[in-house]
Amino acid sequence: MDIKKTALAGTLESSDIQITLSKGDNGINIDLDSSVEELYGDQIRKVITDTLAAYGVDNANVKAVDKGALDCVVKARTMAAAQRALETTDQPDWEVF
Amino acid sequence: MKNIFISGKEQDIPAVLANKDHRAAVQRRLVADYPEMTVVAAKLNIPGPIKNNSAIKEFFVAGLYQLEQQWLQAGTAFYQKGQWLEAGTGPERFYLVKAAATTVKKATTAFEEATASNRLFDLDVLVKEGEQVRPLSRADSSQPARRCFVCGRPAKECGRSRRHSVAKLQAAVNELIVGALATAHQSVVSDRLVQFAQRALLYEVMAWPKPGLVDPVEHGAHPDMDAFTFINSSVALHRYLYQAAEVGMHASTADYPLLFNELREFGKVAEQDMFVATKGVNTHKGAVFSLGVLVMATAASWHKRGRIDLADIQSVVKAALVDLVKGDLKQQPAAPNETAGEQQYRKYGLTGIRGEAQAGYPTVFRYGLPTMLKTAGTWNTRIVQTLLALARHTEDSTLIKRAGDPAILKWKDQQVDQCLAAGGVTTAAGRALLNDLEQEFTRRHLSLGGTADLVILTVFLTIVKEELADGLANE
Repeated sequence: MDIKKTALAGTLESSDIQITLSKGDNGINIDLDSSVEELYGDQIRKVITDTLAAYGVDNANVKAVDKGALDCVVKARTMAAAQRALETTDQPDWEVF
Repeated sequence: MKNIFISGKEQDIPAVLANKDHRAAVQRRLVADYPEMTVVAAKLNIPGPIKNNSAIKEFFVAGLYQLEQQWLQAGTAFYQKGQWLEAGTGPERFYLVKAAATTVKKATTAFEEATASNRLFDLDVLVKEGEQVRPLSRADSSQPARRCFVCGRPAKECGRSRRHSVAKLQAAVNELIVGALATAHQSVVSDRLVQFAQRALLYEVMAWPKPGLVDPVEHGAHPDMDAFTFINSSVALHRYLYQAAEVGMHASTADYPLLFNELREFGKVAEQDMFVATKGVNTHKGAVFSLGVLVMATAASWHKRGRIDLADIQSVVKAALVDLVKGDLKQQPAAPNETAGEQQYRKYGLTGIRGEAQAGYPTVFRYGLPTMLKTAGTWNTRIVQTLLALARHTEDSTLIKRAGDPAILKWKDQQVDQCLAAGGVTTAAGRALLNDLEQEFTRRHLSLGGTADLVILTVFLTIVKEELADGLANE
Protein backbone atom coordinates (compact mmCIF):
# COMPACT_ATOMS: atom_id res chain seq x y z
CA MET A 1 0.00 0.00 0.00
CA ASP A 2 1.09 3.52 -0.69
CA ILE A 3 1.14 6.48 1.64
CA LYS A 4 -1.56 8.83 0.39
CA LYS A 5 -0.74 11.83 2.58
CA THR A 6 1.66 12.88 5.30
CA ALA A 7 0.25 11.93 8.69
CA LEU A 8 1.26 12.36 12.31
CA ALA A 9 0.42 10.57 15.56
CA GLY A 10 1.62 10.90 19.13
CA THR A 11 2.91 13.74 21.26
CA LEU A 12 6.27 15.03 22.47
CA GLU A 13 5.53 14.12 26.08
CA SER A 14 7.52 11.80 28.28
CA SER A 15 6.77 8.11 27.63
CA ASP A 16 5.31 8.92 24.22
CA ILE A 17 6.62 8.86 20.67
CA GLN A 18 5.62 11.12 17.79
CA ILE A 19 5.53 9.39 14.41
CA THR A 20 5.31 11.31 11.13
CA LEU A 21 4.78 9.24 7.96
CA SER A 22 5.33 10.65 4.50
CA LYS A 23 5.70 9.29 1.00
CA GLY A 24 8.92 7.52 0.12
CA ASP A 25 10.15 5.37 -2.75
CA ASN A 26 13.17 3.64 -1.29
CA GLY A 27 11.90 1.24 1.37
CA ILE A 28 11.29 2.25 5.01
CA ASN A 29 13.59 5.09 6.06
CA ILE A 30 13.45 5.91 9.74
CA ASP A 31 14.87 9.13 11.13
CA LEU A 32 14.86 8.41 14.87
CA ASP A 33 15.47 10.93 17.63
CA SER A 34 15.38 9.21 21.02
CA SER A 35 16.62 9.92 24.50
CA VAL A 36 17.26 6.18 24.87
CA GLU A 37 18.59 5.62 21.36
CA GLU A 38 21.77 3.88 22.45
CA LEU A 39 19.92 1.22 24.38
CA TYR A 40 16.67 0.91 22.46
CA GLY A 41 17.16 2.51 19.02
CA ASP A 42 17.22 -0.80 17.15
CA GLN A 43 14.21 -2.13 19.01
CA ILE A 44 12.18 1.02 18.27
CA ARG A 45 13.10 0.80 14.54
CA LYS A 46 12.09 -2.86 14.47
CA VAL A 47 8.67 -2.19 16.04
CA ILE A 48 7.99 0.62 13.57
CA THR A 49 9.10 -1.46 10.58
CA ASP A 50 7.11 -4.53 11.67
CA THR A 51 3.98 -2.48 12.31
CA LEU A 52 4.17 -0.78 8.91
CA ALA A 53 4.75 -4.19 7.28
CA ALA A 54 1.50 -5.43 8.84
CA TYR A 55 -0.29 -2.66 6.92
CA GLY A 56 1.55 -3.60 3.73
CA VAL A 57 3.57 -0.39 3.69
CA ASP A 58 6.91 -1.03 2.00
CA ASN A 59 7.93 2.51 1.11
CA ALA A 60 7.74 5.40 3.56
CA ASN A 61 9.78 8.09 5.23
CA VAL A 62 9.34 7.94 9.00
CA LYS A 63 10.25 10.72 11.41
CA ALA A 64 10.16 9.37 14.97
CA VAL A 65 10.70 11.57 18.05
CA ASP A 66 10.82 9.25 21.02
CA LYS A 67 10.55 10.30 24.67
CA GLY A 68 10.99 6.90 26.23
CA ALA A 69 7.87 5.18 24.89
CA LEU A 70 7.25 1.51 25.59
CA ASP A 71 6.99 -0.92 22.63
CA CYS A 72 3.21 -1.04 22.90
CA VAL A 73 3.09 2.77 22.65
CA VAL A 74 5.47 2.79 19.66
CA LYS A 75 3.21 0.25 17.98
CA ALA A 76 -0.01 2.13 18.78
CA ARG A 77 1.34 5.45 17.55
CA THR A 78 2.71 3.87 14.37
CA MET A 79 -0.66 2.22 13.69
CA ALA A 80 -2.47 5.51 14.16
CA ALA A 81 -0.09 7.30 11.84
CA ALA A 82 -0.33 4.53 9.24
CA GLN A 83 -4.15 4.51 9.23
CA ARG A 84 -4.22 8.27 8.81
CA ALA A 85 -1.55 8.19 6.09
CA LEU A 86 -3.40 5.43 4.24
CA GLU A 87 -6.72 7.22 4.83
CA THR A 88 -8.25 4.01 6.12
CA THR A 89 -9.74 5.62 9.16
CA ASP A 90 -9.53 8.77 11.28
CA GLN A 91 -9.08 6.77 14.46
CA PRO A 92 -6.67 3.95 15.25
CA ASP A 93 -8.25 0.50 15.19
CA TRP A 94 -7.44 -0.79 18.64
CA GLU A 95 -8.75 -4.26 17.73
CA VAL A 96 -5.54 -4.91 15.85
CA PHE A 97 -3.69 -5.11 19.16
CA MET B 1 0.45 0.62 55.77
CA LYS B 2 -2.78 1.50 54.02
CA ASN B 3 -2.80 0.56 50.29
CA ILE B 4 -4.32 3.31 48.16
CA PHE B 5 -4.32 1.12 45.05
CA ILE B 6 -7.22 -1.05 46.21
CA SER B 7 -9.57 1.53 44.66
CA GLY B 8 -9.62 3.17 41.25
CA LYS B 9 -10.50 2.15 37.70
CA GLU B 10 -7.85 0.35 35.66
CA GLN B 11 -6.74 2.16 32.50
CA ASP B 12 -5.56 0.54 29.29
CA ILE B 13 -2.96 1.86 26.84
CA PRO B 14 -5.52 3.25 24.34
CA ALA B 15 -7.20 5.27 27.11
CA VAL B 16 -3.86 6.66 28.26
CA LEU B 17 -2.80 7.56 24.70
CA ALA B 18 -6.18 9.09 23.88
CA ASN B 19 -5.82 11.25 26.98
CA LYS B 20 -2.33 12.30 25.87
CA ASP B 21 -3.80 13.40 22.54
CA HIS B 22 -6.57 15.28 24.30
CA ARG B 23 -4.09 16.97 26.61
CA ALA B 24 -1.84 17.90 23.66
CA ALA B 25 -4.84 19.53 21.94
CA VAL B 26 -5.70 21.52 25.07
CA GLN B 27 -2.09 22.62 25.40
CA ARG B 28 -1.89 23.69 21.76
CA ARG B 29 -5.00 25.79 22.19
CA LEU B 30 -3.78 27.44 25.42
CA VAL B 31 -0.38 28.24 23.93
CA ALA B 32 -2.08 29.77 20.88
CA ASP B 33 -4.67 31.73 22.87
CA TYR B 34 -2.28 33.16 25.51
CA PRO B 35 0.98 33.95 23.73
CA GLU B 36 2.04 36.34 26.51
CA MET B 37 1.73 33.64 29.21
CA THR B 38 3.64 30.43 29.88
CA VAL B 39 1.42 27.34 29.94
CA VAL B 40 2.12 24.75 32.65
CA ALA B 41 0.44 21.33 32.52
CA ALA B 42 0.41 19.60 35.89
CA LYS B 43 -0.15 15.87 36.24
CA LEU B 44 1.18 12.89 38.16
CA ASN B 45 3.42 10.01 37.18
CA ILE B 46 1.55 7.05 38.59
CA PRO B 47 2.84 3.83 37.01
CA GLY B 48 0.51 0.88 36.62
CA PRO B 49 -3.09 0.57 35.50
CA ILE B 50 -4.65 2.62 38.33
CA LYS B 51 -3.96 6.31 37.88
CA ASN B 52 -6.64 8.02 39.92
CA ASN B 53 -8.72 7.59 43.07
CA SER B 54 -9.64 9.77 46.04
CA ALA B 55 -6.19 9.53 47.67
CA ILE B 56 -4.35 10.30 44.42
CA LYS B 57 -6.64 13.25 43.73
CA GLU B 58 -6.18 14.62 47.24
CA PHE B 59 -2.40 14.22 46.95
CA PHE B 60 -2.46 16.07 43.62
CA VAL B 61 -4.53 18.99 44.92
CA ALA B 62 -2.50 19.30 48.14
CA GLY B 63 0.77 19.26 46.18
CA LEU B 64 -0.40 21.95 43.77
CA TYR B 65 -1.44 24.07 46.73
CA GLN B 66 2.25 24.00 47.72
CA LEU B 67 3.29 24.89 44.18
CA GLU B 68 0.89 27.83 44.23
CA GLN B 69 2.33 28.93 47.60
CA GLN B 70 5.77 28.80 46.02
CA TRP B 71 4.63 31.02 43.15
CA LEU B 72 2.79 33.40 45.50
CA GLN B 73 5.86 33.83 47.65
CA ALA B 74 8.03 34.42 44.60
CA GLY B 75 5.62 37.08 43.37
CA THR B 76 4.94 35.05 40.23
CA ALA B 77 1.51 35.90 38.83
CA PHE B 78 -0.49 32.86 37.69
CA TYR B 79 -3.99 31.55 37.36
CA GLN B 80 -5.67 28.21 36.82
CA LYS B 81 -7.01 27.52 33.35
CA GLY B 82 -8.93 24.28 33.38
CA GLN B 83 -8.52 20.94 35.09
CA TRP B 84 -9.85 17.42 35.16
CA LEU B 85 -9.43 15.94 38.59
CA GLU B 86 -11.73 12.96 38.24
CA ALA B 87 -10.47 11.41 34.98
CA GLY B 88 -9.49 7.75 35.24
CA THR B 89 -6.23 8.57 33.46
CA GLY B 90 -5.23 10.79 36.38
CA PRO B 91 -5.93 14.27 37.74
CA GLU B 92 -4.59 17.15 35.64
CA ARG B 93 -4.60 20.92 35.87
CA PHE B 94 -3.37 23.72 33.63
CA TYR B 95 -1.89 27.04 34.68
CA LEU B 96 -1.07 30.24 32.86
CA VAL B 97 2.02 31.82 34.40
CA LYS B 98 3.30 35.33 33.76
CA ALA B 99 7.02 34.59 33.48
CA ALA B 100 9.50 33.35 30.89
CA ALA B 101 9.27 29.63 30.18
CA THR B 102 12.83 28.91 31.30
CA THR B 103 12.24 30.72 34.59
CA VAL B 104 9.04 28.78 35.15
CA LYS B 105 10.80 25.53 34.29
CA LYS B 106 13.47 26.15 36.93
CA ALA B 107 10.76 26.69 39.53
CA THR B 108 8.74 23.62 38.54
CA THR B 109 11.86 21.45 38.53
CA ALA B 110 12.74 22.78 41.99
CA PHE B 111 9.23 21.83 43.10
CA GLU B 112 9.50 18.33 41.64
CA GLU B 113 12.77 17.83 43.48
CA ALA B 114 11.75 19.50 46.76
CA THR B 115 10.46 16.39 48.53
CA ALA B 116 10.47 12.67 47.84
CA SER B 117 6.75 12.65 47.10
CA ASN B 118 6.90 15.72 44.84
CA ARG B 119 8.91 13.43 42.56
CA LEU B 120 5.55 12.00 41.50
CA PHE B 121 4.53 15.34 39.98
CA ASP B 122 5.08 15.93 36.30
CA LEU B 123 4.91 19.66 35.56
CA ASP B 124 5.31 20.31 31.86
CA VAL B 125 6.27 23.84 30.82
CA LEU B 126 5.14 24.25 27.23
CA VAL B 127 6.87 26.18 24.48
CA LYS B 128 6.03 26.77 20.87
CA GLU B 129 8.53 25.38 18.39
CA GLY B 130 7.57 26.08 14.80
CA GLU B 131 4.07 24.68 14.40
CA GLN B 132 4.48 22.33 17.34
CA VAL B 133 4.07 22.74 21.06
CA ARG B 134 6.53 20.81 23.18
CA PRO B 135 7.40 20.60 26.87
CA LEU B 136 10.74 22.09 27.86
CA SER B 137 13.03 19.35 29.01
CA ARG B 138 15.31 19.64 31.97
CA ALA B 139 18.23 19.49 29.57
CA ASP B 140 16.99 22.76 27.97
CA SER B 141 17.92 24.58 31.16
CA SER B 142 20.96 22.37 31.93
CA GLN B 143 19.24 20.62 34.80
CA PRO B 144 19.89 16.95 35.56
CA ALA B 145 17.36 14.41 34.23
CA ARG B 146 14.79 12.76 36.45
CA ARG B 147 15.80 9.78 38.53
CA CYS B 148 13.82 6.61 39.06
CA PHE B 149 12.00 6.77 42.40
CA VAL B 150 12.70 3.11 43.07
CA CYS B 151 16.41 2.77 42.30
CA GLY B 152 17.76 6.24 41.43
CA ARG B 153 18.90 5.34 37.88
CA PRO B 154 17.85 7.71 35.06
CA ALA B 155 14.06 7.43 35.05
CA LYS B 156 13.73 6.99 31.29
CA GLU B 157 15.94 3.88 31.34
CA CYS B 158 13.91 2.18 34.07
CA GLY B 159 10.63 3.17 32.42
CA ARG B 160 11.68 1.91 28.99
CA SER B 161 13.13 -1.36 30.25
CA ARG B 162 10.28 -2.04 32.67
CA ARG B 163 12.97 -2.85 35.15
CA HIS B 164 10.62 -2.73 38.13
CA SER B 165 7.38 -4.69 38.49
CA VAL B 166 4.08 -2.80 38.72
CA ALA B 167 3.66 -4.17 42.25
CA LYS B 168 7.02 -2.75 43.28
CA LEU B 169 6.34 0.63 41.65
CA GLN B 170 2.91 0.84 43.27
CA ALA B 171 4.38 0.00 46.66
CA ALA B 172 6.88 2.85 46.29
CA VAL B 173 4.18 5.29 45.09
CA ASN B 174 1.86 4.17 47.87
CA GLU B 175 4.45 4.91 50.54
CA LEU B 176 5.12 8.37 49.10
CA ILE B 177 1.44 9.30 48.82
CA VAL B 178 0.37 7.92 52.19
CA GLY B 179 3.23 9.79 53.87
CA ALA B 180 2.48 13.03 52.03
CA LEU B 181 -1.23 12.82 52.86
CA ALA B 182 -0.48 12.32 56.55
CA THR B 183 1.62 15.51 56.46
CA ALA B 184 -1.10 17.34 54.53
CA HIS B 185 -3.70 16.20 57.08
CA GLN B 186 -1.54 17.56 59.88
CA SER B 187 -1.53 21.00 58.36
CA VAL B 188 -5.30 20.81 57.75
CA VAL B 189 -5.80 19.90 61.42
CA SER B 190 -3.47 22.71 62.55
CA ASP B 191 -5.46 25.21 60.51
CA ARG B 192 -8.68 23.81 61.90
CA LEU B 193 -7.47 24.06 65.51
CA VAL B 194 -6.54 27.72 64.99
CA GLN B 195 -10.03 28.40 63.63
CA PHE B 196 -11.61 26.57 66.56
CA ALA B 197 -9.51 28.56 69.04
CA GLN B 198 -10.44 31.89 67.47
CA ARG B 199 -14.09 30.87 67.36
CA ALA B 200 -13.88 29.98 71.07
CA LEU B 201 -12.48 33.44 71.89
CA LEU B 202 -15.20 35.17 69.88
CA TYR B 203 -18.08 32.90 70.97
CA GLU B 204 -17.30 33.61 74.62
CA VAL B 205 -17.58 37.38 74.24
CA MET B 206 -20.76 37.06 72.14
CA ALA B 207 -22.79 35.23 74.80
CA TRP B 208 -25.24 37.22 76.97
CA PRO B 209 -25.97 37.79 79.80
CA LYS B 210 -22.63 37.19 81.53
CA PRO B 211 -22.31 38.70 85.03
CA GLY B 212 -18.95 40.39 85.56
CA LEU B 213 -17.91 39.96 81.94
CA VAL B 214 -17.99 41.81 78.65
CA ASP B 215 -20.81 40.92 76.27
CA PRO B 216 -22.29 42.82 73.34
CA VAL B 217 -25.14 44.17 75.52
CA GLU B 218 -23.19 45.53 78.46
CA HIS B 219 -19.71 45.72 79.92
CA GLY B 220 -20.26 47.74 83.08
CA ALA B 221 -17.84 45.65 85.12
CA HIS B 222 -15.12 46.41 82.56
CA PRO B 223 -15.56 50.03 81.50
CA ASP B 224 -12.18 50.11 79.75
CA MET B 225 -13.18 47.53 77.12
CA ASP B 226 -16.16 46.35 75.07
CA ALA B 227 -16.99 43.47 72.74
CA PHE B 228 -15.07 45.15 69.92
CA THR B 229 -11.91 45.21 72.02
CA PHE B 230 -12.26 41.43 72.30
CA ILE B 231 -12.67 41.07 68.57
CA ASN B 232 -9.45 43.03 68.15
CA SER B 233 -7.44 40.79 70.43
CA SER B 234 -9.04 37.55 69.14
CA VAL B 235 -7.95 38.42 65.63
CA ALA B 236 -4.50 39.55 66.77
CA LEU B 237 -3.81 36.14 68.34
CA HIS B 238 -3.99 34.27 65.03
CA ARG B 239 -0.26 33.93 64.55
CA TYR B 240 0.30 32.78 68.12
CA LEU B 241 -2.45 30.17 67.98
CA TYR B 242 -0.97 28.86 64.74
CA GLN B 243 2.43 28.63 66.41
CA ALA B 244 0.85 26.75 69.32
CA ALA B 245 -0.71 24.25 66.89
CA GLU B 246 2.53 23.80 64.98
CA VAL B 247 4.58 23.26 68.15
CA GLY B 248 2.30 20.37 69.03
CA MET B 249 1.66 19.02 65.55
CA HIS B 250 5.31 18.55 64.67
CA ALA B 251 6.48 17.50 68.11
CA SER B 252 9.37 15.12 67.54
CA THR B 253 9.61 14.55 71.26
CA ALA B 254 7.31 13.56 74.10
CA ASP B 255 9.24 16.06 76.26
CA TYR B 256 6.12 18.14 76.74
CA PRO B 257 7.61 20.53 79.35
CA LEU B 258 10.16 21.50 76.67
CA LEU B 259 7.35 22.18 74.19
CA PHE B 260 5.61 24.27 76.84
CA ASN B 261 8.76 26.37 77.31
CA GLU B 262 8.85 26.89 73.55
CA LEU B 263 5.18 27.91 73.57
CA ARG B 264 5.64 30.29 76.46
CA GLU B 265 8.14 32.40 74.55
CA PHE B 266 5.65 32.71 71.69
CA GLY B 267 3.07 33.62 74.35
CA LYS B 268 5.13 36.58 75.55
CA VAL B 269 5.14 38.01 72.04
CA ALA B 270 1.41 37.25 71.73
CA GLU B 271 0.69 39.26 74.88
CA GLN B 272 2.40 42.23 73.29
CA ASP B 273 0.40 41.67 70.08
CA MET B 274 -2.76 41.66 72.21
CA PHE B 275 -1.88 44.90 73.98
CA VAL B 276 -1.12 46.58 70.67
CA ALA B 277 -4.49 45.43 69.27
CA THR B 278 -6.43 46.57 72.35
CA LYS B 279 -4.44 49.76 72.95
CA GLY B 280 -3.13 48.46 76.26
CA VAL B 281 -6.18 46.65 77.65
CA ASN B 282 -5.86 43.13 79.06
CA THR B 283 -8.62 41.21 77.31
CA HIS B 284 -7.12 37.76 76.85
CA LYS B 285 -3.92 37.42 78.87
CA GLY B 286 -5.21 34.35 80.70
CA ALA B 287 -6.55 32.90 77.47
CA VAL B 288 -3.21 33.40 75.74
CA PHE B 289 -1.76 31.06 78.32
CA SER B 290 -4.51 28.49 78.68
CA LEU B 291 -5.85 28.38 75.13
CA GLY B 292 -2.29 28.23 73.79
CA VAL B 293 -1.55 25.27 76.05
CA LEU B 294 -4.73 23.50 75.01
CA VAL B 295 -4.21 24.10 71.29
CA MET B 296 -0.66 22.81 71.59
CA ALA B 297 -1.77 19.77 73.60
CA THR B 298 -4.58 18.97 71.15
CA ALA B 299 -2.16 19.15 68.23
CA ALA B 300 0.44 17.04 70.05
CA SER B 301 -2.18 14.44 70.91
CA TRP B 302 -3.34 14.33 67.27
CA HIS B 303 0.29 13.99 66.15
CA LYS B 304 0.67 11.03 68.50
CA ARG B 305 -2.68 9.30 67.92
CA GLY B 306 -3.90 10.53 64.53
CA ARG B 307 -7.30 11.26 66.05
CA ILE B 308 -9.05 13.28 68.75
CA ASP B 309 -8.89 11.81 72.25
CA LEU B 310 -9.97 14.23 74.99
CA ALA B 311 -8.49 12.17 77.81
CA ASP B 312 -5.14 12.08 76.03
CA ILE B 313 -5.26 15.84 75.42
CA GLN B 314 -5.71 16.31 79.15
CA SER B 315 -2.79 14.00 79.92
CA VAL B 316 -0.55 15.97 77.53
CA VAL B 317 -1.53 19.19 79.35
CA LYS B 318 -0.62 17.62 82.69
CA ALA B 319 2.71 16.37 81.37
CA ALA B 320 3.57 19.74 79.82
CA LEU B 321 2.73 21.73 82.96
CA VAL B 322 4.09 19.31 85.55
CA ASP B 323 6.39 21.94 87.09
CA LEU B 324 4.23 25.01 86.57
CA VAL B 325 3.15 25.76 90.14
CA LYS B 326 6.59 24.97 91.55
CA GLY B 327 8.39 26.95 88.88
CA ASP B 328 6.09 29.97 88.74
CA LEU B 329 4.76 30.39 92.24
CA LYS B 330 6.82 28.55 94.82
CA GLN B 331 10.25 29.85 93.84
CA GLN B 332 9.45 33.44 93.05
CA PRO B 333 9.97 36.25 95.51
CA ALA B 334 7.22 38.85 95.49
CA ALA B 335 7.81 40.96 92.40
CA PRO B 336 6.60 44.56 92.19
CA ASN B 337 4.54 43.75 89.08
CA GLU B 338 3.25 40.37 90.23
CA THR B 339 -0.02 39.15 88.76
CA ALA B 340 -3.24 38.60 90.70
CA GLY B 341 -2.55 34.87 90.66
CA GLU B 342 0.96 35.29 92.04
CA GLN B 343 -0.17 37.67 94.75
CA GLN B 344 -3.01 35.41 95.83
CA TYR B 345 -0.71 32.43 96.09
CA ARG B 346 1.56 34.47 98.36
CA LYS B 347 -1.30 35.89 100.45
CA TYR B 348 -3.85 33.07 100.53
CA GLY B 349 -1.99 30.00 99.26
CA LEU B 350 -4.38 29.77 96.29
CA THR B 351 -2.75 28.23 93.22
CA GLY B 352 -5.41 29.74 90.92
CA ILE B 353 -5.23 29.17 87.18
CA ARG B 354 -1.73 27.67 87.45
CA GLY B 355 -2.98 24.97 89.80
CA GLU B 356 -5.98 24.39 87.57
CA ALA B 357 -3.78 24.23 84.48
CA GLN B 358 -1.18 21.92 85.99
CA ALA B 359 -3.92 19.52 87.08
CA GLY B 360 -5.08 19.37 83.44
CA TYR B 361 -7.98 21.82 83.81
CA PRO B 362 -10.11 19.44 85.91
CA THR B 363 -12.83 22.11 86.28
CA VAL B 364 -13.18 22.30 82.51
CA PHE B 365 -13.25 18.53 82.06
CA ARG B 366 -15.44 17.78 85.10
CA TYR B 367 -17.95 20.65 84.97
CA GLY B 368 -17.57 22.74 81.84
CA LEU B 369 -17.41 20.12 79.13
CA PRO B 370 -20.22 17.84 80.41
CA THR B 371 -22.51 20.87 80.78
CA MET B 372 -21.79 22.22 77.33
CA LEU B 373 -22.10 18.84 75.65
CA LYS B 374 -25.44 18.02 77.26
CA THR B 375 -26.98 21.48 76.89
CA ALA B 376 -29.19 21.70 73.83
CA GLY B 377 -30.02 24.87 71.99
CA THR B 378 -28.11 27.83 70.69
CA TRP B 379 -24.47 28.55 71.38
CA ASN B 380 -25.66 31.41 73.57
CA THR B 381 -27.62 29.00 75.77
CA ARG B 382 -24.81 26.48 75.89
CA ILE B 383 -22.20 29.09 76.78
CA VAL B 384 -24.16 30.86 79.53
CA GLN B 385 -25.15 27.56 81.15
CA THR B 386 -21.53 26.46 81.00
CA LEU B 387 -20.38 29.77 82.46
CA LEU B 388 -22.65 29.14 85.45
CA ALA B 389 -21.42 25.57 85.90
CA LEU B 390 -17.79 26.71 85.74
CA ALA B 391 -18.32 29.78 87.95
CA ARG B 392 -19.80 27.53 90.62
CA HIS B 393 -16.60 25.49 90.83
CA THR B 394 -13.87 28.05 90.24
CA GLU B 395 -11.78 30.04 92.70
CA ASP B 396 -11.74 32.94 90.27
CA SER B 397 -8.59 34.99 90.93
CA THR B 398 -9.97 38.02 89.08
CA LEU B 399 -13.04 37.96 91.33
CA ILE B 400 -10.90 37.70 94.46
CA LYS B 401 -8.69 40.53 93.26
CA ARG B 402 -11.65 42.84 92.58
CA ALA B 403 -13.29 42.00 95.93
CA GLY B 404 -10.00 42.08 97.79
CA ASP B 405 -11.04 39.04 99.83
CA PRO B 406 -11.50 35.34 99.04
CA ALA B 407 -14.71 35.42 101.07
CA ILE B 408 -16.38 36.67 97.88
CA LEU B 409 -16.24 33.09 96.58
CA LYS B 410 -18.96 31.97 98.95
CA TRP B 411 -21.28 34.80 97.90
CA LYS B 412 -20.59 34.00 94.24
CA ASP B 413 -21.49 30.34 94.81
CA GLN B 414 -24.81 31.31 96.40
CA GLN B 415 -25.71 33.60 93.52
CA VAL B 416 -24.81 31.02 90.90
CA ASP B 417 -26.76 28.33 92.72
CA GLN B 418 -29.84 30.55 92.68
CA CYS B 419 -29.51 31.13 88.93
CA LEU B 420 -29.00 27.44 88.27
CA ALA B 421 -31.93 26.44 90.48
CA ALA B 422 -34.14 28.75 88.40
CA GLY B 423 -32.99 27.05 85.20
CA GLY B 424 -30.24 29.45 84.22
CA VAL B 425 -30.56 31.10 80.83
CA THR B 426 -33.13 28.50 79.69
CA THR B 427 -36.01 29.98 81.73
CA ALA B 428 -37.46 33.47 82.05
CA ALA B 429 -36.95 33.36 85.83
CA GLY B 430 -33.35 32.30 85.41
CA ARG B 431 -32.68 35.02 82.82
CA ALA B 432 -34.16 37.62 85.20
CA LEU B 433 -31.81 36.48 87.96
CA LEU B 434 -28.88 36.55 85.55
CA ASN B 435 -29.72 40.10 84.49
CA ASP B 436 -29.98 41.18 88.14
CA LEU B 437 -26.68 39.50 88.88
CA GLU B 438 -25.00 41.15 85.90
CA GLN B 439 -26.16 44.54 87.25
CA GLU B 440 -24.94 43.73 90.74
CA PHE B 441 -21.51 42.71 89.41
CA THR B 442 -21.38 46.02 87.56
CA ARG B 443 -22.45 48.01 90.61
CA ARG B 444 -19.85 46.34 92.83
CA HIS B 445 -17.21 46.33 90.05
CA LEU B 446 -16.83 42.54 90.28
CA SER B 447 -15.51 40.32 87.52
CA LEU B 448 -15.49 36.63 86.56
CA GLY B 449 -12.47 37.06 84.31
CA GLY B 450 -10.81 33.81 85.37
CA THR B 451 -13.96 31.82 84.72
CA ALA B 452 -14.27 33.37 81.27
CA ASP B 453 -10.95 31.76 80.32
CA LEU B 454 -12.32 28.37 81.32
CA VAL B 455 -15.44 29.02 79.22
CA ILE B 456 -13.17 29.68 76.23
CA LEU B 457 -11.33 26.40 76.85
CA THR B 458 -14.63 24.52 77.12
CA VAL B 459 -15.94 26.00 73.87
CA PHE B 460 -12.67 25.05 72.15
CA LEU B 461 -12.81 21.43 73.36
CA THR B 462 -16.50 21.19 72.48
CA ILE B 463 -15.87 22.31 68.91
CA VAL B 464 -12.92 19.92 68.70
CA LYS B 465 -15.11 17.08 69.86
CA GLU B 466 -18.11 17.97 67.72
CA GLU B 467 -16.30 18.89 64.51
CA LEU B 468 -13.06 16.93 64.48
CA ALA B 469 -13.63 13.81 66.57
CA ASP B 470 -14.43 11.79 63.43
CA GLY B 471 -11.20 13.01 61.92
CA LEU B 472 -10.95 14.12 58.32
CA ALA B 473 -12.03 10.74 56.97
CA ASN B 474 -15.36 11.75 55.51
CA GLU B 475 -14.27 14.97 53.84
